[in-house]
Amino acid sequence: MVDLSVSIGRGAKQELRLQNPVMTASGTFSNGLEFARRFDLDALGALVSKGTTLRPRKGNPTQRTVETAAGMINSIGFQNIGVGALIREVAPTWARWGVPVLVNIMGDTVEEFGQLAERLDGVPGVAGLEVNISCPNVEVGGMEFGQDPATAARVVRLVRRCTGLPFTVKMTPSLSDMRPIAQAVQDAGADAITIMNTIPAMAIDIERRRPVIGNVFGGLSGPAIKPVAMRHVYLVSAVTDLPIFAAGGVTTATDALEFIMAGASAVQVGTATFRDPATPWTVLEGMRAWCDEHGVKSLGEIVGAARRMD
Amino acid sequence: MQSVTLEVIESARLYGETHILWLPLPEAFATAQPGQFVMAYCGEGYDPLLGRALSFHRTRQGASGLEFALLFDVVGRGTDWLARRERGDELRLVGPLGRGFEPRPNVQRMLLVGGGIGVAPLVGLADRLVEEGREVTLVLGARSEAGIFPASQLPPAVELIVATEDGSAGERGRVTAPFQRLLPWCDQAFACGPNAMFEALHGVVRTSQTAKPVQALLEGVMACGMGICYSCAVFPRRGGVKLVCHDGPMFDLRDLYA
Repeated sequence: MVDLSVSIGRGAKQELRLQNPVMTASGTFSNGLEFARRFDLDALGALVSKGTTLRPRKGNPTQRTVETAAGMINSIGFQNIGVGALIREVAPTWARWGVPVLVNIMGDTVEEFGQLAERLDGVPGVAGLEVNISCPNVEVGGMEFGQDPATAARVVRLVRRCTGLPFTVKMTPSLSDMRPIAQAVQDAGADAITIMNTIPAMAIDIERRRPVIGNVFGGLSGPAIKPVAMRHVYLVSAVTDLPIFAAGGVTTATDALEFIMAGASAVQVGTATFRDPATPWTVLEGMRAWCDEHGVKSLGEIVGAARRMD
Repeated sequence: MQSVTLEVIESARLYGETHILWLPLPEAFATAQPGQFVMAYCGEGYDPLLGRALSFHRTRQGASGLEFALLFDVVGRGTDWLARRERGDELRLVGPLGRGFEPRPNVQRMLLVGGGIGVAPLVGLADRLVEEGREVTLVLGARSEAGIFPASQLPPAVELIVATEDGSAGERGRVTAPFQRLLPWCDQAFACGPNAMFEALHGVVRTSQTAKPVQALLEGVMACGMGICYSCAVFPRRGGVKLVCHDGPMFDLRDLYA
């Protein structure tokens, strides 16, 4: 049987070992509670929580999602219960589960990322963080934290100072080349890199002659964006030693294996879960079967396999 | 909530642009209540990608067991694909989802109000209430006669009142006027239709200063239908945020608009 395990934060104060490389993507599995009775959550590599902010948020006006060709656009606006309620009401449940949970955190300012990291440090049930730098920085007129290497590094350095938890940094696809940001977050102390967030997008309703999404713009996800994420994983994995978590249209085991061969160490299943909540498990079983059929003993054998021609 | 793949028993255009699909009632859906819904997954590949939220319409005794129906308007790629399903074709569904209508026990006079395709869950509710020996008045509204569910398909005991905007069937106008007339008569009311209809109904409830319970079955744009995508938000006037799929789709009308 193939060894599918993945480690993040190797050598750090707290190492996180995932028994396999299949995770849920933030915002597509809520906080896991809805599915705890229906599915064997402990069989997955990790869960990533809904995007969590310092204070509770009601989120954006409707319409919040629209289906597009082999994908969808969403603009939920971080509707969430806030980090305090998450720690009080949700983390105790996570603490009883075998599957590690990473909390996806999002701040309006650099400072808020530090506060979030500090609050979550040492909370039973929280195995790590995912730092969402693909959101607007209120302090500098709304430009995404993740679009500027210096700002991204400031966020990561602060989170590193505020927590002993291992953490990954979720990258924005707003830039055509992620490599400078990836290098900056690696140097600033991140333990892993999640590639990637949704792609900024919009849709028009011709009958109303208006944007479909209440907030005008949203993020594109689903099978349609897989090739874009694939290129970013391929490019970034050449310049970093950090494990990469690939997110972007993973729907089948083949998709997941493509990302692994492009250089990812793990995958996050996102939008596909909306179509079939069992997808993370079918992806995992399919990966295992493929590795067994092809005599792959450890996932490490095929990580970046497609890059070895360079 | 379970995922099932079922073979279509019957597929037909029932009236206007409205289509009906009959499917065998699986064990997993045996407990489904009027007002609950399923997600129906359309297409063979990733396009269309997401499920379509459809109410349980009604059930019947078929040749080889209980059957249930989905009633929907053909409005886009997903429902167009659904309408082209034929006898023997497979359809994947997840359900039952959400919180359905909750008729009070021991009350007799039931007023049902449907706007457009909002009739879909009300027919199953009417079937159930008539079976329980209650009095049912069903008010249906649409733009024109083509959008009105056929009276011949309703239980004979149901009193049907029709309102069309162009006056081509029943009284001219919207469902608001008959709702206003019948509200004093009923013990409990149930409504399903577009949001503008609910707002108008609440206007009637407010001015009539009645405490009669009105249950509203909401529609929402959903990506998942299971409380995880946070797409189908509804913002009650008093504050906060609810999800149509998870907290509803049935809400007390006052909890939304008062």
